[in-house]
Amino acid sequence: MASVSLYMRPGTLEEALLSLGRPGAVVVGGGTKVNSASSLEPVVVVDLQGLGLDTIEKVADGRLLLGATASLRRVVESPRVPEAVREAARREEPSTLGNMATIGGCVAGADPASELLATLLVHDALVTSVTKEGERAIELGALLLDPAQLAAGIITSVTIDTDGVTAAVRTGRTVADRPIVAAVARRNSMGERRLALAGVAVTPVSVIAAHDSFDDAIRSLHPPGDFRGSEEYRRELAVVLARRVLEEIG
Amino acid sequence: METTNVDVEIVLNGKRLQAGCAPGETLLSLLRRNGCFSVRYGSETGETGAAAVLLDGRLVSSDVLLAVQAHGHEVTTLESLSGARDELHPIQAAFVESGALQSGYSAGAMVLCTKALLDRCPDPSDAQIRDALSGILDRETGYAKVVDAVHRAAALLRGEKPEPMEPVFVDRLTGEHEPGQDRTVHDEGTTDAVRESGALPRLVRSPEVPHGAVVGKPEKKVDSVRLVKGHPAFTDDIDLRGMLYAKVLRSPHAHARIVAIDDSAALALPGVHAVLHHLNTPRVKYASGGQSWPNPQPWDQVSFDDKVRHVGDRVAAVAAETPGIADEACRRIEVTYEVLPAVFDEVEAISPGAPVIHDEPDTLGIYDAPRNVSHHIEGQTVTDAQLEEAFGRAERVFEETFHVHQVQHTPIEPHVAIGWLDEDDRLVLRSSTQVPFHVRRMLAPLVGLPVKDIRVIKPRLGGGFGSKQEMLIEDIVAHLVLATRRPVRLELTRAEEFAGTRTRHAQTISIKTGVDREGHLLAQDVRVVSNTGAYGTHGFTVNSVSGQHGLSMYNCPAKRYRCDVAYTNRPVAGAFRGYGAPQAFFALESQMDDIATALGMDPIELRRRNWVRSGDPLDIVPRLGERGGVEEIAPEDLPHVTSCGLEECVEQGRRAVGWSRRTDPAWKRPWRRPSIRRGIGCAIAIQGSGIPDIDMGACSLKMNDDGSFNLLFGATDLGTGADTVLAQIAAEVLGSRVEDIVVYASDTDLTPFDVGAYASSTTYISGMAVKKAAQAVRQRIAVRAARLIGTGDGGAVRPEDVELHDRRAWAPDGRSVSLEDVALNALHTEDQEQIMAVASHVSDDSPPPFVAQFAEVEVDVDTGQVNVTKLVTAVDCGFPINPVTASGQVEGCMAQALGYALCEELVLDERGRVVNDRLGPYWIMRADDMPATEVLLVETMEPSGPFGAKSVAEVPMDGIAPAVRNAILDATGVSIGSIPFTPERVWRALRAS
Repeated sequence: MASVSLYMRPGTLEEALLSLGRPGAVVVGGGTKVNSASSLEPVVVVDLQGLGLDTIEKVADGRLLLGATASLRRVVESPRVPEAVREAARREEPSTLGNMATIGGCVAGADPASELLATLLVHDALVTSVTKEGERAIELGALLLDPAQLAAGIITSVTIDTDGVTAAVRTGRTVADRPIVAAVARRNSMGERRLALAGVAVTPVSVIAAHDSFDDAIRSLHPPGDFRGSEEYRRELAVVLARRVLEEIG
Repeated sequence: METTNVDVEIVLNGKRLQAGCAPGETLLSLLRRNGCFSVRYGSETGETGAAAVLLDGRLVSSDVLLAVQAHGHEVTTLESLSGARDELHPIQAAFVESGALQSGYSAGAMVLCTKALLDRCPDPSDAQIRDALSGILDRETGYAKVVDAVHRAAALLRGEKPEPMEPVFVDRLTGEHEPGQDRTVHDEGTTDAVRESGALPRLVRSPEVPHGAVVGKPEKKVDSVRLVKGHPAFTDDIDLRGMLYAKVLRSPHAHARIVAIDDSAALALPGVHAVLHHLNTPRVKYASGGQSWPNPQPWDQVSFDDKVRHVGDRVAAVAAETPGIADEACRRIEVTYEVLPAVFDEVEAISPGAPVIHDEPDTLGIYDAPRNVSHHIEGQTVTDAQLEEAFGRAERVFEETFHVHQVQHTPIEPHVAIGWLDEDDRLVLRSSTQVPFHVRRMLAPLVGLPVKDIRVIKPRLGGGFGSKQEMLIEDIVAHLVLATRRPVRLELTRAEEFAGTRTRHAQTISIKTGVDREGHLLAQDVRVVSNTGAYGTHGFTVNSVSGQHGLSMYNCPAKRYRCDVAYTNRPVAGAFRGYGAPQAFFALESQMDDIATALGMDPIELRRRNWVRSGDPLDIVPRLGERGGVEEIAPEDLPHVTSCGLEECVEQGRRAVGWSRRTDPAWKRPWRRPSIRRGIGCAIAIQGSGIPDIDMGACSLKMNDDGSFNLLFGATDLGTGADTVLAQIAAEVLGSRVEDIVVYASDTDLTPFDVGAYASSTTYISGMAVKKAAQAVRQRIAVRAARLIGTGDGGAVRPEDVELHDRRAWAPDGRSVSLEDVALNALHTEDQEQIMAVASHVSDDSPPPFVAQFAEVEVDVDTGQVNVTKLVTAVDCGFPINPVTASGQVEGCMAQALGYALCEELVLDERGRVVNDRLGPYWIMRADDMPATEVLLVETMEPSGPFGAKSVAEVPMDGIAPAVRNAILDATGVSIGSIPFTPERVWRALRAS
């Protein structure tokens, strides 16, 4: 367990931002990651549960807002959420942890194997965060590449597009295991294609097509290998799985 | 709210609870402090689900939730459902009825999970149930009966009455058929039973087996109510005044000498009461394996050594006022190491130039310490020359090398022990152990106490699978109790479970097999290099069993088995369900399919031409093992197969899995899914039933005033249902009911000796001890009943004519007297006596159970992913005393074996550190991982077992991995010689082909 020196449950965003100014302060949504980390240095837990950031609602331009503290299971159960996102949220954590883990925590955690993050990427996710300087929206892909953009800030929501067709495939040791590599593709209502991969970099990544082909971009990846899959294997999986999801969305 | 020390207010089970706690305290800790013992520790990271509770109606893991996060919320634990003494909530009743609880360690979580699901979804699908259960890892059941329990609970809550949990009878397919049974197999691949529920045991009855009133019935487990109510039944479910908390400092190095230890900073920490290490603890050599006296050598361990031999090896131990202080004290112990070269691979370890792991002068009995060979094992049925001659006669000779890997047991309850000094200054240890009597005897010299001054109590265990057949923490607790004279508790973390307990032996197995033109085996030569890790412990016996069981499967006139057991700097290997047989059968059964492929034969037909049958000798068995090494042995002195249902098992399994689809190209290559290849594989296996002439079980049986009985034995139920099975045996003999047999086990002060739970011995060995004791009690009851009945009208009755049934003693003419009246007469009225008996049992036989296992797979040839879509196990366990608990054992074993085949693997980095010492990275099968499973129990009559019973709990571990491997071969034509079948391994094999 984490060594916790102080617990704070702010009632407003302003209080939360003030709390974050304390040395060792960490933001907790559900606590699945922070609480289970075996930190030796004491942390100050800033629990966001009192901020009312757990709504899931339609917002402008037909986009859907997922509140930062909405639990993954709430996302799974919400009929407003596109089926592919619900399924990715379901797969992200087992039931017990899925009732605790939050959308904001998932974004902040930036797990390289997160199929949910890959799915949010193809749904053009924008992450809204608040700092003392104010509120701003950051593209999820950009945030994953440069997490420092979140420094001293609090994620308040993630908004996504809900239109189009999405397909996801994965390879794992078992059917319920976290993927070694997962590929998610979406064709939006404008006919534009998106592709994202998990398990091929230090975070899930969007793959940008060159001349309408994703192959070269995928083959240029250098996935970090581990005991579940070598660099070579992950790259090959990425090619195969990307091809499948792109075929599926047409 | 902002404070360093927090006042937490929650609504706990409908009542307001205010408590002060540290900000880092988990909700799990707070709940257990407040008497909610149904919430249990499984890990620090929430994956096991053992600590699951409802937070505002949602299932969450309280071990990864801060107590203060629950402030202002409603928390529900299993205790909320506990009503009057005999009352069960419908969900609890469903779990009892379905036999869904084995150890019951996670019962609270499962019941609450069910409640949360059914509250929002009154009639869930299988998929919804498995998704809901995905957060609760169950290492014991295989989930089939848990899913059934949820369906039953849903039906009960809807006001429906579900069908009782009773066996489905399946017609025999071989030999004499028993027509007219109520539900039968129809088409290949499907049965009525399958359509009804995957959890119901399918029973293929044998006319040879006499069926009783209690044995053979799906009696509810004797401990099920206690477990489903979440009562404090487990080792850690007590609080002792003044208890100290122990933590162990473990080695960060794979191989190093401890040059210096400075414990002054640790001892100076307020709240620290003792720091123990090699400089202040007696150096007494021992072997940690829980085995009968004298423990096999080498005795290569001491409680704390001046050398560490694997990452996670013990360095020191601390007892302190809180776990946090103990942790901090461990960090403050300054250890100076001289790091030494390390070796992890078993073949490299015994090669020239490898670092010597056991160079200490005081370990006796290492076979070849300079070469890192802890044991050398060999046995053969013919001379070397005769073996070569047999190979010379063979039409074809096949030589292959296989590798099986290191995996960990992962019982959800970790190793935990609590010790204290009683009022007579005797040392009492309450421990989660499979071998309480062995622990008592082995511990005595380590702490300098006589055996009589040690008492070991085994409460309910939360799973073991062999990892608790070792003395791994009890000596640490004992040392600390004696040093502090305070109660001391030590519970291992999940990471310590992986690195600091025990694992399955990895093996490199080379097999050379000669066959004639028709596929008859002529010669088998098996050479094994086994990896015991840093210490020898079970190295001799596990690796002997590899040869004993592996080379007993088939008749073959010339057999040889040789094994070097290698020390390495890996975490230590030990006993693990199957005990060497799964390793052997992976290699042997894989090669059988390769031979069949080469000969163009059906793999089952090749096996049929060779497998042992009733009356066949088990000729390698006496040449190996504890009492092995016998070179010359007369044929009549060889053990023989005394019961065998293998033919029926194979036919049942073949039909259930749909074996004929192997030749259907449309099924094997589904045209809509071009990257998919389908296949079906099979493997057969045998195990033993106890260790002949060594394993001893004993019990005492005492009659009470009301005609009930106290049954006390030393056998240890790990969750297997052994307590229930032994009660059924007693009830059957005594004409009583299971609920009138009060079971207590085990406690070295109170219960008779038993070797403990291992080697598949409990039903076969301890069960026979119970039967003998019950027969002796029955005899006394008959004498007294004859006298009581004979005093009335109708004349005298001879005791030998008295029968017991329906809780009464009956004369042939129908007169009877109740057992209660017999007991009252014996205890209070006439020629008073305590009717009781003590009995022991040892067998000179170890009849093998047989299993036929089948796997259906889909292989994605582009990614290498193997998806197992169906598993079938047909097992001959003799007469299943309780078909529900027996089938539950098989289901759980299949899940564990499937993990062995597909995904479980203890991975070390180049420095010997476990990379995946957490559940998740170390993946065990979840409810939503498991394929359809089917279990068939094929009855046979084993003459040496109680009511015809043999063992059941280990043999299903043996054939799943080779069955999956052979299914991959059938699907793709590719032979793979190593497990697990991870996607990359399969992908590379496909590419290489």
